[in-house]
Amino acid sequence: MDPLTWTGALGTVLNPLLLLCTCAFAIAALAATLLGLRAAPARAGSAAALAGPGGAPGAARLAVRLTFWAIVAVLVAYLVGGLVTPYGTGGILGCLSRRFLPVWIALAASFGLSIAFKRRLGLYGKLFDSTIGMIGFALVMFWVYTALFTGLFGWIVTQDPLTTLSGLKNKVPGTPIPGATGPWSHYLLGGDNLARDVFSRMVAGSWIVVQIAPLATLFAFMVGITLGLPAGFYGGRLDTLLSFLANLILAFPVILLFYLLVTPEMVASGVPAWMAVVLFLFPILFVVVLLNARLYTRPLRRTLWVGAALLGLGWLYLSMISQAGTPIAFLPEDLDLFDVPGGILVVFVSVVFVNAPTVFRIVRGLAMDIKTRDYVAAARTRGEGAWYIMLWEILPNARGPLIVDFCLRIGYTTILLGTLGFFGLGLPPDSPDWGSTINLGRRLLSIYPHAALVPAFALLSLVLGLNLLADGLREESLRD
Amino acid sequence: MLRFIAGRLATMLLTALCLTLVVFFLTNLAPSLERVAKTQIGARVSDAEVESWLNRNGYGGPMLARYGEWLGVMPGWTSAAEDGGLAAGRCLGDTAAEAGAPRYCGVLQGDWGTSTVFRDEVATIIARSLALTGKLMLWVLVVMVPGALVIGVLSGMREGSRTDRGLSTLSILSTATPEYVSGVVFIAVFASSAVGLRWFNGSATSAMEQATFTNFTLPVMTIALYGMGYIARMTRASMAEVMTSQYIRTARLKGVSFRALVLRHALRNALIAPFTVIMLQIPWILNGVVIVETLFNYKGFGWTLVQAASNNDIELLLGVSVVSVIVVLLTQLISDLGYVYLNPRIRIS
Amino acid sequence: MTQTKTPGSSVHPAALMYAEEHRSGKLSRREFLTRSTALGVSSAAAWGLIGLQQPARAQDEPVEGGTLRMQMQTKALKDPRLSDWSQIANFYRGWLDYLVEYQNDGSIRGMLLESWEANEDATEFTLTVRQGVTWNSGDPFTAEDVARNITRWCDSTVEGNSMAGRMGTLVDRETGQAREGAVEVTGDHTVVLHLQDPDVAVVANMTDYPAAIVHSSYETGDPSEDPIGTGPYLPAENQVGVRQVLERNADHTWWGTKVYGGPYLDRIEYIDYGTDPAATLAAAESGEIDATYETTGDFVEIFDSIGWIPSEVVTAATITVRLNQNSAPYDRADVRRAVQMAVDNAVVLELGYNDRGEVAANHHVCPIHPEYADIGPAEHDPAGALALMEEAGEADHTFELISLDDAWQAATCDAVAAQMRDAGLNVERAVLPGSTFWNDWLTYPFSATEWNMRPLGVQVLALAYRSGEAWNETAYANPDFDAALARAMSVADAEARSEIMAEVEQILRDDGVVVQPFWRSLYRHHTEAVHDMEQHPTFEHHHYRWWMS
Repeated sequence: MDPLTWTGALGTVLNPLLLLCTCAFAIAALAATLLGLRAAPARAGSAAALAGPGGAPGAARLAVRLTFWAIVAVLVAYLVGGLVTPYGTGGILGCLSRRFLPVWIALAASFGLSIAFKRRLGLYGKLFDSTIGMIGFALVMFWVYTALFTGLFGWIVTQDPLTTLSGLKNKVPGTPIPGATGPWSHYLLGGDNLARDVFSRMVAGSWIVVQIAPLATLFAFMVGITLGLPAGFYGGRLDTLLSFLANLILAFPVILLFYLLVTPEMVASGVPAWMAVVLFLFPILFVVVLLNARLYTRPLRRTLWVGAALLGLGWLYLSMISQAGTPIAFLPEDLDLFDVPGGILVVFVSVVFVNAPTVFRIVRGLAMDIKTRDYVAAARTRGEGAWYIMLWEILPNARGPLIVDFCLRIGYTTILLGTLGFFGLGLPPDSPDWGSTINLGRRLLSIYPHAALVPAFALLSLVLGLNLLADGLREESLRD
Repeated sequence: MLRFIAGRLATMLLTALCLTLVVFFLTNLAPSLERVAKTQIGARVSDAEVESWLNRNGYGGPMLARYGEWLGVMPGWTSAAEDGGLAAGRCLGDTAAEAGAPRYCGVLQGDWGTSTVFRDEVATIIARSLALTGKLMLWVLVVMVPGALVIGVLSGMREGSRTDRGLSTLSILSTATPEYVSGVVFIAVFASSAVGLRWFNGSATSAMEQATFTNFTLPVMTIALYGMGYIARMTRASMAEVMTSQYIRTARLKGVSFRALVLRHALRNALIAPFTVIMLQIPWILNGVVIVETLFNYKGFGWTLVQAASNNDIELLLGVSVVSVIVVLLTQLISDLGYVYLNPRIRIS
Repeated sequence: MTQTKTPGSSVHPAALMYAEEHRSGKLSRREFLTRSTALGVSSAAAWGLIGLQQPARAQDEPVEGGTLRMQMQTKALKDPRLSDWSQIANFYRGWLDYLVEYQNDGSIRGMLLESWEANEDATEFTLTVRQGVTWNSGDPFTAEDVARNITRWCDSTVEGNSMAGRMGTLVDRETGQAREGAVEVTGDHTVVLHLQDPDVAVVANMTDYPAAIVHSSYETGDPSEDPIGTGPYLPAENQVGVRQVLERNADHTWWGTKVYGGPYLDRIEYIDYGTDPAATLAAAESGEIDATYETTGDFVEIFDSIGWIPSEVVTAATITVRLNQNSAPYDRADVRRAVQMAVDNAVVLELGYNDRGEVAANHHVCPIHPEYADIGPAEHDPAGALALMEEAGEADHTFELISLDDAWQAATCDAVAAQMRDAGLNVERAVLPGSTFWNDWLTYPFSATEWNMRPLGVQVLALAYRSGEAWNETAYANPDFDAALARAMSVADAEARSEIMAEVEQILRDDGVVVQPFWRSLYRHHTEAVHDMEQHPTFEHHHYRWWMS
């Protein structure tokens, strides 16, 4: 097998084209800026930035727009070219594009459906009115689909992310695997320091990140909401106490907290396991109270629903916290649905623990604000219970800021996971998650940059996507 | 006003007390103590030796009593020598027992204890490392705050313009780039021989003695960049809000030039919110400092924190926690007071 | 450079025998030098015995003065005999001297000892103490000082005293102290050691880094607090984890100046950059240091590429991926053998250490050791490993391999883990930061230990695998091995010796004690301005040789 170049045979046509478009874009942009500057003083007083295009500045701006789209078109051509031509013709880019085919299809389908029905989809549908929001959504969903297809079907990866192949240590992207033939017998994005496939590790890492980050954030939200609503709603002593506790945790430097919680000694002593026992209780509490508050007028349905929720979630809860090898191992093995690997559980607990107080503060603030509204007063006069008001009146009305914060916080959690990897805490060292791979790769960054840059850009694009998505959502929810 | 500040200070004390108690508890669990003993007498010792060492060195008593000793409300521990005299004790020096040594020697008496890793007074170490981190923080703020404010004001004054969109995207990008990503990329691009630019140093160790443009730029930029985006976005939001407010509209109708409008009328009110954000960012910068100091090998507060935490250096960790609590709560207090001072519409009764 | 002559013209008979063996090709030159100098033959004389001139070191005239900045982890100092890191010793080496010093060519030369002689069966060593040496406190250095230090080393009741193991033939097993009459002062400048059993390694053991000679006023604790020593430098700054500085002691005339020349540097700064080699590289590129302590793995190439001068030394330094026999399932030889068989040492060398070394054969005796016997390469048979493991009933066991987060050590363990996985075993990996790792490493059932080189192979075997030794973290206890090793410690001719060593190596390997994948070559890099600063096989810093232009 021959090594792959970045753009392969397609590059002979597309590379000059891309160069041409880029040059044209640069010239046009320069011209537009210069002309704009000359025109600026005339417009400065008016602040009317939307003055219609006309004359030389207008033409330059049109040229900028056209060349920009030309560049985008060429870039898309690389990807599409890789899809339609045989394996290897499109170079590394083409192969990558081909490998991500299921993701493209899923993305196209979600965008098609969402745009078609966007008027019926509420806040989610409005997202598709904002370019920023759509770009963010595309980036996030790209990683979500990649993670799902990898984790559930094992599709996208080309090699096993943990297997080392002799002779491929620190090899550049596109190096063929010695002795292998047929498609997918290259290390598409090169080999790392231990001769593992960088591309497959990056893709496999997305599954870990996409599993932990949103779930941990969700848990943090449940804890924060369950405590923040009553604190804001009742105020008084309860509020003072809870706020003090939240501030206490927030006053801790995050890294110190991690060092105290995630070290092997601490895991052995069982403190994180007990914290899991407490923290994981909150989602159950949340769901049960939610159902109870809604259905308490109809005792039979309530008993049924609450009972079912208690049984199902309770079992999950017990399987989750009961870990063989820790001080808390009480569930017989047959009943234990799954075992979360020790490292992951600790990381999970710590991340929830760090995030929950911030969520608590946000929810508390929102609850204090919303409880003065008319509809809350109306519900009170109707004689609704306190929890009903909190969960079914206040919470839905606070959803805008919460959803935005949720997106941002997933990004922040992803960064936090990476920070843990950076300090060698938490997940096992050969885990392909992005934080750990960046940390391993950064040591050789100055000569073999690909091993660190690939996961770094993956992390960057996901966090960027979440931020853009949050931005889009905020803009659209503000327009309500 | 005074009552408000006094209340805040009381909360601060209470928080510090609770926090140190938690840290004390977590660092004094049996496995952690064993770790301390092993760093002190060597890695190849038996459990019995660990036990006897712990007892001889004052780790044997009940946890709360020992916390009291650290605090200075309980008499310091002593251990008897074979001949019946005092061999060692918290309040005695390194050498033999001295007559007239104080019975209490904790934080209340101004004694912060000794670091087991660095074999030095905790107060000395913290003072030294805080001075170094202070230098770093100062430069970070000098770079970050004006930069963020300029970006925020520029993009906020014409919401929706191309400048706004470009700058906003940049700010989002910077908040999405954690220090450990930007730091390594910076080192690779600007400091390594592989790329060949070598404009700056990839190590800030020499900056501890003498900070220069070459050895301090990268650490400062790495921290500043991550915080900059957030402040810029807050400034932008605040600026955009001000620009749509009634009095600006009125001023504009009166024919005030755009430049004067921004500089003279909008800016002051638009900067109130960012001020709060900047103060609240400082504890977050402290977080970034830990990563950057580790990455660039700059031995300030963050590095000390990592060393203390990874070696379970109990008294140093307690000292570090107290300092960080004070930093966090003090910045909150200043941000609240500043908000009140800058915003004439709010008064604290 | 001057080389003192051995008093008395008699050369140890065994040395003559070794010279004969060397000439007949049974002994390499390096082997010959180590063995004969260990018996008290001066290096010049040893070179003479095989009809060669000791190569004069080609060098420019050293320049006096200057400050050298070197990257090194700066650890808290300990009582020298308790030191567990070369780095600790390299700092107190500034003001504490050693009796003898191991040279890069494999010979041992006298420092505070002028010469030494062994009797024929290596049970009695006569040490001649150098004349005219003074402590920096002004006291003269005498035979009493030597005897007192050796007695200190023999005190095996002190927790963590590793010298007691090295001086085993002088220690009374009952009291744990030096045997009555074992260390005899026979004159102002002569000490005679009476050994219980033959031990050729006793002088070689005195080159080891815990064997620094301390003053009579020193009891225990940090030696830098009251730095009385015979050496040319004094500690000027000791900030653990940050930096340690040595400064030339202007008020003290160092004995070595007229014997070996030097010291030249005014000031030596050790700066701590942690364990991450990337930080060291950044420091080098920033011009913050002049030399590295050690360059490992991929960084050898990188440092070469930035124009630093490499210094390489082939050594018997190694890493052992060891299995603690006190914990199941590693208490069974089958399981341990299977682990060994699953691993291809050559692949581990490639992935773990970039092929910068020699493949080893799981028995911890190196071809450069004088007593090495070739018993063939280690067996690599993944299928056999799985079969053996199935037979032992542990095929489903999940092995957890714990290592330090140090770059090449982690890479080596990762490679071992990958090989075991390829053989069909379940392996999990844990990489711990130094602080966590070192606090518990003795209790890890399956982990890695880095071993520095010792001049003789039997020295390491005695330290690491003899039953009940302080540094034996494999918990290996086999009386046959101990007996065979004891025989190997006495003088014998080449054939008999290699037979015994072959037996020792075979026992160790058959018991599956360690996976010992490769011998490391050690590297150091320094700038062009630094001279005479070769990497030393056991990481010793001989400050007096270094100079800067």
